Amino acid sequence: MTQPIWGPVQQEMHDILQQHPDDVPAVVDQLAQLQVVLCRVPPLLHSNPLADFNKLYLTITENVLERLYAGKFKDPAFLSRLDVEFAARYFDALRYWTEGSPACPGVWAGLFCRVPGPDARPLPSAVAGVNAHINFDLPFALVTTFDHLGSDPIDDSDQHHDYLQVNDIFAEEMPGLRRGYLDRWQLLIDTMNGDLDDWWQGELVEYTRNVAWRNAQKVWAVRHDMIALDKERRRLDKTATGLGKLLLSPFADFLQ
Amino acid sequence: MASLGDDGPLVGRTDTLTDVQSYLRDVGPGGTAAVFLTGESGVGKSRLLRETAEALRGTGFAVLNGTCLDIGDASPLHPVLQALRRHDAGAALAATADDAGALLDRVSRDLRSIAGDKRLLLVLDDLQWADRSTRQLLLYLLAGLGDVPISVLAAIRAEALHGTHPLRRVLAELRRLRSVRVVDLQPLTQDQTRELVTAIVGGNVAIEDADRVYKRSGGNPFVAEELARDLRDGRVELSDTLREIFLSRVDELPANAHAVVHALAAGVEPVDHLVLSRVVPLPEDQLIEAVRAAVAHRFVASDGDGYRLRHRLVAEILEQEVLPAEAAALHRRYAEALEAAGGEPDHARLAFHWQRAGVPARALPPVIAAARAAEALYGFAEAHRYWTIALRITTEDDKERTELLGHAAESAHQCGEHLLALARLEELAGRADAPGQCDLHLRRARYLAAAGRSAPAETEYVRALESPECSPQQRASAAAFLAELLLHLGRYADANERAREALELAAVDGSTADLVRASAALGFSSAFREDPDAGLAVIRHAVEIAERSGHPDDLGVAYLHLAELLTGPLNSIEEGVLVARRGADRLAKLGVGRTYQTRLLAIAANGLFRVGQWAEADAVLDIAMRHRPSGADAVELLLARCRLLVGFGELENAHRDLDAASTLLAGGGARHVLPMLTLRAGLAMWEGEHHDARAAVQRGLTETRSDDLVLLGVLAWHGLRAEAEAHVAGKAVDPGALRRLKTVRDRLAEGVNNAGAARAVVDAYLDLCAAELSRIENRHDPEPWARAAAIWDRRQQPYPAAYARLRHAEAALHRKTRRTTAIAGLRQAFATATAMGARPFAKEIRGVAQRFRVSLADDTPTVPMTVPEQVTDELAALTGREREVLAAVAEGLTNREIGAKLFISERTVGVHLGHIFDKLQVRTRVQASRVYLTAA
Repeated sequence: MTQPIWGPVQQEMHDILQQHPDDVPAVVDQLAQLQVVLCRVPPLLHSNPLADFNKLYLTITENVLERLYAGKFKDPAFLSRLDVEFAARYFDALRYWTEGSPACPGVWAGLFCRVPGPDARPLPSAVAGVNAHINFDLPFALVTTFDHLGSDPIDDSDQHHDYLQVNDIFAEEMPGLRRGYLDRWQLLIDTMNGDLDDWWQGELVEYTRNVAWRNAQKVWAVRHDMIALDKERRRLDKTATGLGKLLLSPFADFLQ
Repeated sequence: MASLGDDGPLVGRTDTLTDVQSYLRDVGPGGTAAVFLTGESGVGKSRLLRETAEALRGTGFAVLNGTCLDIGDASPLHPVLQALRRHDAGAALAATADDAGALLDRVSRDLRSIAGDKRLLLVLDDLQWADRSTRQLLLYLLAGLGDVPISVLAAIRAEALHGTHPLRRVLAELRRLRSVRVVDLQPLTQDQTRELVTAIVGGNVAIEDADRVYKRSGGNPFVAEELARDLRDGRVELSDTLREIFLSRVDELPANAHAVVHALAAGVEPVDHLVLSRVVPLPEDQLIEAVRAAVAHRFVASDGDGYRLRHRLVAEILEQEVLPAEAAALHRRYAEALEAAGGEPDHARLAFHWQRAGVPARALPPVIAAARAAEALYGFAEAHRYWTIALRITTEDDKERTELLGHAAESAHQCGEHLLALARLEELAGRADAPGQCDLHLRRARYLAAAGRSAPAETEYVRALESPECSPQQRASAAAFLAELLLHLGRYADANERAREALELAAVDGSTADLVRASAALGFSSAFREDPDAGLAVIRHAVEIAERSGHPDDLGVAYLHLAELLTGPLNSIEEGVLVARRGADRLAKLGVGRTYQTRLLAIAANGLFRVGQWAEADAVLDIAMRHRPSGADAVELLLARCRLLVGFGELENAHRDLDAASTLLAGGGARHVLPMLTLRAGLAMWEGEHHDARAAVQRGLTETRSDDLVLLGVLAWHGLRAEAEAHVAGKAVDPGALRRLKTVRDRLAEGVNNAGAARAVVDAYLDLCAAELSRIENRHDPEPWARAAAIWDRRQQPYPAAYARLRHAEAALHRKTRRTTAIAGLRQAFATATAMGARPFAKEIRGVAQRFRVSLADDTPTVPMTVPEQVTDELAALTGREREVLAAVAEGLTNREIGAKLFISERTVGVHLGHIFDKLQVRTRVQASRVYLTAA
């Protein structure tokens, strides 16, 4: 590493990432701190793709926090733990990247390496982050949370309903992804006609988050088997990385 | 330990080494410390463990070493038992412990005896492979529960933490403690790599060469060291991948040494010489020569326990190189060698090798033996894995399969794998020789209820009840369980009905356990349906039944139910305390039921705290902690003691208990998180750390279930009080926090009508919230405080009542209204505080008194008198016999015991008691006892 990865804000990034938030207010706080620093990364400053994602993530987490305070979830303990676990993976990926460690998951590396440019449109950038976070991180965060709370991921449980409620938040915060835009997505997917289209259909985030729930159930079954688990991790990383690349290619510009 | 004096130089780790040592010495309030080293493979974790252990040995530390195994299904507590064995201790550990808590206690005792008067350093390598039992033991020790002055140094592979590894959460929770450090070991920098290369090559190294090593190794010291040796020996390394580097090395080995290295890669380390000699069939002298060559080529290390590869990375690379048939043959030879070695068979290893040898028939017996051994050590998670393996290596047609499925389902249930438990049960149900329908329904219901799926669980119980093949005993049992389930669901009317049915069935055919369970469900459901006396009578009767059976489980459960009913919904705290203590005594005399004793004492201590008898509560907690509780029971007691210590103003000790509780909760335990956060907020408030108090409450608010109105009430009050204290101290109030707290208060106000038995308490907290808000808004309104004081008086809880009195006096004095009442209230609060020993609270009252120039030293009594004055006269109304009965009641005897003592029937005792209650105008035995004791 001859040059700091984050340029002039390297030290600040490093310092922020030394904290390990363990509750939702602290997660919001860390995302807010990151937002300030990310907007200062040259040359794109506030329009770098990671800042786009971070901003969306911050908004969504603030929304989750407000709903927690308002008692909107059936099992807040579950959702809080999930939120913290989920965020920890994003922070971990950032930390690995900041330290130049090879441990940074491919799907995140794909987004991080686009920070210096070329410029991508904000919507696909944010979606690329959402992709990494949901398609890759979420299943593992779910499994860890269930494991810690000593309960199982059961369809139609209180936890499942709370989990699905987060879809509504995504829908609220990402008007660009509502149905009207999905035709274009469908077109994109059809053009790809690779292995993406058997799981990629219909509504974007909702569907993806359900895929994450299914994947979590899959991971849950093998969580004690280190080898099988690692295989599953690589599989998820690979699929998500492919999709991430696509989202950040010029090809995705037509989405916005 | 495996160094043989040819470790490379330690570069770039001097500071880390110093830091780690000082962290390990820097114990937290509980007298323990821990350092978790994380980093990728080959980054030098094991080396750092060795160096640290060497440095600390002989400087007041006794050192124990253990390594976790990657065979995935090691036996419970493996690394710690291995460490103990190396010390010639703990050999016969398993057989002596009668529950999981006792086992932890036994291990602690062995560790204490090894430590002697030194600190113990427990070094654990490859902790990512540790089983669940080991993780729990670690938390137990770090919480200080084992009473071992211990520092733990453990290494964890960073790769393992990526996915869903349970240690992720454990570390995340432990990080916040002052006594725990997580040290992330980074690869070497370019300069450090140069230094390492120069040191190994000796003399001048071209910068380009050193930098090439850096580039290829990525700063990984293990790889860099090997590449530097190549450089020194003039070897040209063509490949970049670790794998190829090592394979080319292996190829250079003499043929026999080659065989030794391959054999070790397939073995479970350490491999002792005798076993190796059977696996590698060479004459003794040739074998020794081969081992020597492998050591010289830096592949193998040897120590007192046997041989091991210098690094697991090598084993992982070699494993991929061996043909499946070769591997199978090696494993078979291992298995045969282990069997031939005789002595105590190592089931886990045998199971491992026979499976990989591809001989399922030979693998099955050791797998089953390993499962049973794990169950004997209460390692249900590990046992479950063995039962699962057993299923994997049998086929549909095997006769044993039915029995194996039964075990697999039950062990899955025991370790919390409810979905798997249900799946196994379904498979079991489909077998020709399946157990009966009723049995299956009952088990399914039990698993479903444990998984939190109440509706299908209810259906299964009903099916069991309706099943024609259901025996009367099973029917009684099903009805009792169903009543209990309905009670938990809050369906009191249904629970009541089912409980009556269960009680009838159980009275004829049921076991005592069913009778007690049914009585408890009936008692609670009656009490919740506003017929407390009937409920109480039923549960009292259950205690008598349990007394007759004398079985510790029956006794424990019955006393627990009675004590919970009294201290909970009935709010007869003093009697509840008495019952709880009697139950604990009773079990203590029998010398059994440690867990029940602990739980009963926790109820007693919490009750004593509420009624303001803090010194007594302290004494009870002392006894309870001597039972060496573990898990959830320990958390409960630690939190209770912490609450008391905060009240006494012993803040340092309060921190110790709070840290210990957090340590245990790192292993899971959602229902204790809120009480812990509430205490954290309370403690921070007394310390004037308003920000910490606020953070704890705000976190708590995100984790409350909306139906926990009482917990939510306490938390909201703490939050508002923290804001008020900050405001009074001249610090800023957080408007966001305040807004959220108001939202929560509104939620409480909405929910209070459905709060059932908890309604009064929630109302009391709502008053406190309103009062704190008036403080924040500078309204100085005495009115809400007066209401709060009255309601807490009615609840017979002097602490919050006195607190409300203090604030009431403060507001009134500020407004200069009704000064006399205010002063009386202040003095009363001060008397209460002094009597309880609430030092910080008393200090605060003194502060307010000084501020308003009020004298606290009046002729008011220092102890609040709640005892009626006219007692002496009332005792005169009793007959001689009634006095005898009352004396026995005051001793705490049951009706049956009184009957036996006075040679009258139990019934007659009841009649006497009725008269006594009438004459003394009391409702409970405790009230009667108090009248007697005051008069005597």
